[in-house]
Formats: sequence, C-alpha cells, structure tokens
Amino acid sequence: MARFLLRRFASVVFVLWAMTVLVFAIVHILPGSVAHMILGEYATAAAIAALEEKLGLNDPLPVQYWRWFSGLLRGDFGLSITMERPAGPVIMEALGRSAVLAGVSIVLVAILGIWAGIHSAVHKGSASDQALTLGQYFFIAVPEFFWCILVILFFAVWLGWLPATGYTPIADGGLLGWAKHLVLPVSTLVLGLIAHVSRLVRSSMLEAIESRYVLAARAKGLPERIVLRRHALPNALLPAITVLAVDVGILIGGIVVVESVFAYPGLGRMLIYAIDNQDLPLMMGGMIVVTAVYALANLAADILYAVLNPRIRVGGTAA
Amino acid sequence: MAEPLLDIAGLSLAYDTARGAVRALDGVSLAIPRGGAMGLVGESGSGKSSVVLALLGLLGKEATVTADRMSFAGEDLRAAAARLRGARIGTVFQDPAAALNPALRIGAQVAEPLVQHRGLSPRAALARAVELLAEMGIPRPAAVAQAYPHQLSGGMKQRAVIATALACEPELLLLDEPTTALDVTVEAQILDLLEKLRAERGVSMLLVSHNLGIVDRLCDELTVLYAGRVAEAGRTADLLDAPRHPYTRGLLAALPRIDRGRIARLAPIPGSLPDLTQPDPGCNFRPRCPFAAAGCAAPQALRHGDARAVACHRAEAVRDLPWPQPEPVATTRAPPGASLLEAQDLARSFSLDSGFAGMFRRRAEVRAVDGVSLTLRRGEVIGLVGESGCGKSTLGRLVLRLIAADRGRIGFDGEEVPPKPPDAFRRRAQIVFQNPDTSLNPRQTVDQALRRPMERFGLARGAAATAEVERLLALVRLTPAYRTRYPHQMSGGEKQRIGIARALASRPDLLVCDEAVSALDVSVQAAVLNLLGDLRDTLGVAYLFISHDIGVVAHVADRIAVMYRGAIVEEGAAAQVLSPPYHPYTQALLSAVPVVGARGRAAARMRLAGDVFAAPAERGCRFAHRCPAKLGAICEDQAPPVQVPAPGHRIACHIPAAELARAPAALAAAE
Repeated sequence: MARFLLRRFASVVFVLWAMTVLVFAIVHILPGSVAHMILGEYATAAAIAALEEKLGLNDPLPVQYWRWFSGLLRGDFGLSITMERPAGPVIMEALGRSAVLAGVSIVLVAILGIWAGIHSAVHKGSASDQALTLGQYFFIAVPEFFWCILVILFFAVWLGWLPATGYTPIADGGLLGWAKHLVLPVSTLVLGLIAHVSRLVRSSMLEAIESRYVLAARAKGLPERIVLRRHALPNALLPAITVLAVDVGILIGGIVVVESVFAYPGLGRMLIYAIDNQDLPLMMGGMIVVTAVYALANLAADILYAVLNPRIRVGGTAA
Repeated sequence: MAEPLLDIAGLSLAYDTARGAVRALDGVSLAIPRGGAMGLVGESGSGKSSVVLALLGLLGKEATVTADRMSFAGEDLRAAAARLRGARIGTVFQDPAAALNPALRIGAQVAEPLVQHRGLSPRAALARAVELLAEMGIPRPAAVAQAYPHQLSGGMKQRAVIATALACEPELLLLDEPTTALDVTVEAQILDLLEKLRAERGVSMLLVSHNLGIVDRLCDELTVLYAGRVAEAGRTADLLDAPRHPYTRGLLAALPRIDRGRIARLAPIPGSLPDLTQPDPGCNFRPRCPFAAAGCAAPQALRHGDARAVACHRAEAVRDLPWPQPEPVATTRAPPGASLLEAQDLARSFSLDSGFAGMFRRRAEVRAVDGVSLTLRRGEVIGLVGESGCGKSTLGRLVLRLIAADRGRIGFDGEEVPPKPPDAFRRRAQIVFQNPDTSLNPRQTVDQALRRPMERFGLARGAAATAEVERLLALVRLTPAYRTRYPHQMSGGEKQRIGIARALASRPDLLVCDEAVSALDVSVQAAVLNLLGDLRDTLGVAYLFISHDIGVVAHVADRIAVMYRGAIVEEGAAAQVLSPPYHPYTQALLSAVPVVGARGRAAARMRLAGDVFAAPAERGCRFAHRCPAKLGAICEDQAPPVQVPAPGHRIACHIPAAELARAPAALAAAE
C-alpha cells in the first residue's frame, strides 16, 4: 500500500511539472511579442523595449522558465500585469470562490447521482426508471450554456426569484444572500453530471444485482433491503468513485462557462479575464492551479478506491 | 413410506421473452425422502438449475411457476420459500469465486444466516462461523474468517460456501454444480466432504450436475431432465447400469469414460435441443431419437415400473436394440509417422508483480513452464493433463511461439522455429481455444472468420475460398447456411466447431487443443471428439490435446504427459500412464476422477491435500510438498531421477519403479 501511494504521488508530481513546461511553452512559443500585445498596437518601440526589459523577456527561455518555476515552488505566482499586484492572492481568492461552487456541485452530484442510479437499478423497468432514463439522456445531451441562459430567463428575469449574476460574501449579504447567488450556477453545473453519474451507477448496480453473490445472499434468506445495502451497493459504488474524479475535470470546464455567464468571480472567470487582457502570470498561475486540482482529485479517487476495495487493500493469501 | 421431505409434482415454468414464452420446465416431479440424496442431471438447457431457483422462490419477475404440489416438510414452498431458504434449505451454487461477495470478509458471510435466522449477535455468529469453517476442514479457520474471498483458493472458497449453507443446520441442501469450477483433485476433496456431511448429519441433498460420475458417487436416486421434462428417474445404480429412456442411453453412449479407455468412436446424439417456445406435445426427444416411431407424437406420460419411471412408450420395445454406433471415416489408421514437433527445454516465467494489484505484493515469480521437452509425431495425439496452474496452457502457447519463451528450442518438421516464426509455421501450427465466446470475433460472420486464414496464407480466394468455407463447415457437421451467422446467433457447441474449422482453414499439420471440448455438453463433445479423430486419421493432423478431463484425454490420446508445476512428471503411452506403475501425482489425479460405475472404489482412493499453488519447492521434487507417498528428506533435497519402467514410459520419482508398480489400479471399478 505504501509503495502504491508513493508511486501515485510521484506520478502526480510529474504531471504537475510537465504541465508547467507545457503552459510555459504555449504562452511563450506563440508568435508575437508579449510586450507588444500588452501595450497595444500604438506603442512606441522604446516602450516595448523597456517593458520587455522589465519583464525579463530578453533572457533565454530556459532562464525565464526557471525564474517562473522556482517562483512557483516558493508559492510566488509573479506579478499580475494588469492589476499590478501579486497574482498568487488573486488566484487563491478566486479559487476559494470556485471551490465553493465546485464543492457544493460535486457533493450534490455524488448524492443525487448515486441515489438516482440506485433507484433506477432497483426498480428497473418501472415508470420512474424510464422517466429518470429519459431525463438523464436529455440532460447529458443539452449543453450547460443553454441551461445558463434558460434559468436566467426563467428564474431571474421572468420570476425574479433569484439574482441573475454576481456574488455576495457571507459577511455582506448573510448566508441567504450568499446562497442565493449559488443556486443558479450550481444547478446548471450539476444537471448533466448527475445524469452522467446516475447512468453509470445504474449499470454497475444492475451488474451487482444480477451477480451470483447477490443470488447467493438471497438464497441465505436475507431480506431484500440487506441484500441490496450490504451485498450489492459496496460493489456497485466502486466504479462511481473513478467516474466522480473524471467528473471533476468536466466540472472545471463547466465552471469556466458558468462563471462567465453568471458573472461569478471565480477561477474560471479570472482565467477568461487573464486571457482577454494578456495577463500572462495570472493566466499561467490559474492554469497550473486548475491542473493541480484535477490531478489531486484523481489521486484522492485512486486512494479511496484502493482503500474501499479489499482486493487491492489486502494482498496475499490466507489459506 | 414416510412423507418425503421434498415433494414436487407437476412443476412447470415459463419465461416471458421477446420471442414468446419459453417453457423451461414442463411437469417436473421429484421427491426426496429425509436423509436421501437425489441427483438431477441433464445437459445445458435442460432446466436443471431452474428447478433449484424455483424451489427457492428466486426466479425473476419474468418467470411464471405453476405446480400441482411443491411441499417441503409439509409446508407449501410457494408461500414459505422466502422464510425457509437459508434457514431450513441451504444452497451451494456453482463457482464459489462468483458466489462469495468480494467486498465482505469470509467470516461475516458465513455468519450472516445465523444472525438472520437464529437471532445470534454478530459476535456469537462469527464465533460459530469459525467453528463451521473448521468443521469443513479449513485449516486456520480464525484467519480464514478474517480473509476476503480473493485470498482463498477455489477449494477453500467452496468449503466456505458450504459452511454458509450449513450454518443454520438445514434439512435440505441444494447443490447446483458444486464442483464444476474446481480441479479434479479439489473436486474429490469437496465430494468427500459432502459424503461425510450426509453420513454424519443426515442432511438431504438435491445435487444438480452434468457430471454423471459425481451423481453416481453421492446420490441414491437420479432424475434425468431433457428440455424441461423428466425423461427417466430411478435408483442411481440401476439407472446408470441399465438406462431405458433413449436420451439416457444416448447420454451414456456419448460419454468418454476413463474406465473404458480407448474405444474407437463415441456415439454423439444427433441434432440439438428443441425450441422451447413451441413445446412439442409429444415426446420432445423424438427428433433426435434413433428409435422414433409412430406413436411418439402422442404425449408421453412417465411410466412407473419397479422403482423406475421412464417417459418413453417404446422403452421396453427397443430395450434390446443397440444404440447406433457411427461408422468411422477411415477404416484403418496409419501409425504415427516421423517426428513433427520437437520442443527442448522450454521455460517461461511470469512475474506476479505486474498490473495494478501487483504493486501491493512482494515481487514473486511463477515458473509456469520449467524446462519441458516434448516430441510429437505426425498423426499422433499427446494428451496433456494436470491441475489448473500446472502450466499446461502456457506450454501449449509456447510450442506455437504465441508467447515468448525464456529459453529452449523448438523444431518443427526438422527445422528450427525462431522466436518470431515465419508465416509457413503459423499456417501449419494452429490452436483451438477453450472458450468460443471470447475466441471468436463478435463482429465477424462465420464466413469472414473462416476465409481470413485462407487469404492470409494465400491458399484460396474468391469462389475457391467460398467452396473451401463450405467444405470446412461440412467437416464440422454444419450446413452452408451457417456462413452468414454471427457468433451470438450460434450455440456454444456450434461456436466451438467454428473455432475448430477456423483452426483447420489453413490446413495445419499440428493443432494445439487447449480445453477445446471442456465447455461442451457430452452429446456435442462426442461429435467434436469424433471429428478430431477423423481428421487425425484422414489428414494425419497431430494434436497436443490439453484437458483437465482425464476421461476425454484417455479417449483421444496415444500418449499422455502429466504436468505438475511446470514440469512433466510422467509421460508414456496412454495405457502405460493409466495403469501402474504410476507417478504418485498421476495416481492421485486418476483416483480423484469421479467415474460412473465406480461405487465402492474408496479403497483405491488417494487424496491430495491443498492445491497446486501451495508453498514452492526450491530444490528436490516439485510434488514433495503434497505427495502422500513421500519417502523423506531425499524428496525435498534431490531432484528425482527419471525412471523408465517400460520403453517410452518415463516417471520422475525417487520411489523405485518396482514399488510404484504395486500401487492399486486407480481406475478399476469394484465389481
């Protein structure tokens, strides 16, 4: 087990390092002068040269990379060009707000997705299973930006129940005000993912229910609810862990879209801002943070999977 | 006579499917007295497992059960099954690896019925579970109770399943193919255990099996099912000695029997199971019956005679007519010719440290094949036997260069075969795999699958290839209509015949048959074995025939090689290997085989403890750790010498051949 953890952790470290190279390369190998992009097309040559000198753009690329990378190791993301303050705190603040959005979403996805999947599998072929299945395909098929617009029109514009955009810290608007701003972004984020997770849980639960060990459990004379809870469920949930980790990736993609539409000041919106304004340190830092979140989510899923699966956790033979 | 414990009459079962209602059971009746043991036999599709599920009330919603009577100890099973199962009716399903929950500890699974039905506290139930495991002959039961299923060998798992079934001291044990997934040596251990449980606890048994030898060992009475109906029922010994229903007679004629040794040909039952969506009101075996006549179209009632019931109105009339024996294709068989395959000192190890699970274990290596030499002549059949894990499949793949060898040389028809063999070798040396479900491409029609090797090796193309495909289909007794079928449109037996036809498409000189008939019912198996024999006789094809079924090997093989942990421990002509002197391992293997008509063979029985995966032997004889005839330290310290008691017969053992020759004949049935 220790070997496994070590190996997985090493691979996460490698992925993160490889990502720094990739992010750096994408930003610096693209054609065009960075200083020129920042200063606009009417900049004087002298201004550009001065800015290039200031940003260290005249140094060889490996030197520039090392300057940035060693900064990252110290927790220094560099200076945001447009805001003229350290990028690190800006990123972390945005990350915190996105984490609330993502955290609430993934918890909802896990609970509702798993519940719906189990319900469909146990009542296979029933009217509720068919209704859920239809709904699941519908929500998987329709993209989230479409929902964004629809729910804004319906709940914010037409009914006026919820704010369409923005964010209120708990300190300002209280718990209710804070939560109100979360409802619409979260619900558009989770619809597709709940559908995705519940499809998977349904099939893995069905597989467990049709397995021979569940038949054997029934032949022992156990009541159906114990058969399902003790025998079928633990085996059916293992694949759900892996798919939830994959869904974290999808969620991050969704957050970029949803934060833009709802003007929610999180990491996704910050990235869009950084890209629009050529704020390279902010952009690179944001991308690294997103990669780290995704890699760590997968690491956590792998560890959880190993802990919950006795075939991996407990090796060797007993007799 | 006292009221039977289990009394079933007129049990019928229909499944709703897209094709219409499938009548899986049709008026099945059987009764088991207290303490009695009833065998329920039949080929796949006979409905024997459905009987078990119907008794337990565990058929799905698609099933409709009707019965005149379904009583267990005076209670109506239709109403009481949910209350009785687990408590008074214990069940053991096929394949313990699938029947145990991989996520729960063994102890918890054994204890569960005690908590449920006896109201024991989980702690008390667990303590009782440990006792039960000990009673089932499991060493270190406390440790096993804490283990997960994947940590146990197959035999230990099945003991744990039996312990679970017996936890609440049921009066009836339902055994659904309890040893089918196990090795013959482990099967013998489990059968001993069941025999002991019956003698000591007086538990009644319903044993569902396709294996007549097992039923013969354990059961007093026998019911033969064919396509959902009872064909014949009676006392086991009488019924197997003198079967009366044509189906039972056919079943026994098709069975390769180790005690009968090599007979020219088996008698397959022609045709296949009837369509159960349109049950035949008359005798449903009629289309396949060699004795069918007028009057067979009328409904057949079970005719009860002296302790025998037969569903055939002509049973008496055809009693003295022999079962038709198929004519061999070639009347004479050429003796094996020149050497075809020469393998020298082949070896291959596998690291256990590969894959995800391997990361958690200590690095370990398994020497699957450890210095094996083998010579196969043209037109010769070598049978390769041994328990699972002994390396026989690896050896089969090594000689074809399908997997890389660590060392060793292979000569084919006088030429050295390099590690990356040329096309000519691939064309001439082919393989038939065990499982036709996974070895046929589900997206290819039969035509595509058979045509491919011909085109690949430039043998035939276009119309010529089509003609060749039809010739191959005829060879494996299938009509040209099968050309357009996909694998899912065929039965297991048909698919396996396509697998054989595909291997033959390139006109090979050597076929490795890796458990090629293991998945088949005996009636189809007989047809396939006859086909393989014909090809050997007419085309001179040589076979390396790998099988765990020693009866089949005894039937087909000219020579037999017995493998244990990567090495051949005994090799010789079939008759030499099947009679003393034996290697102790051969003797154990042979005496473990449940043979029809071998009642009271117990005297000659030799049992092995543990399984093939037990602690490795670094030096000395690789069988020493399990050998019941072990001499002492010499067996553990020194590699055994190869003795040659007769020309061509080689035994690797420290015990002098003269002493080995005094072993009782393991196969002789006590008359």
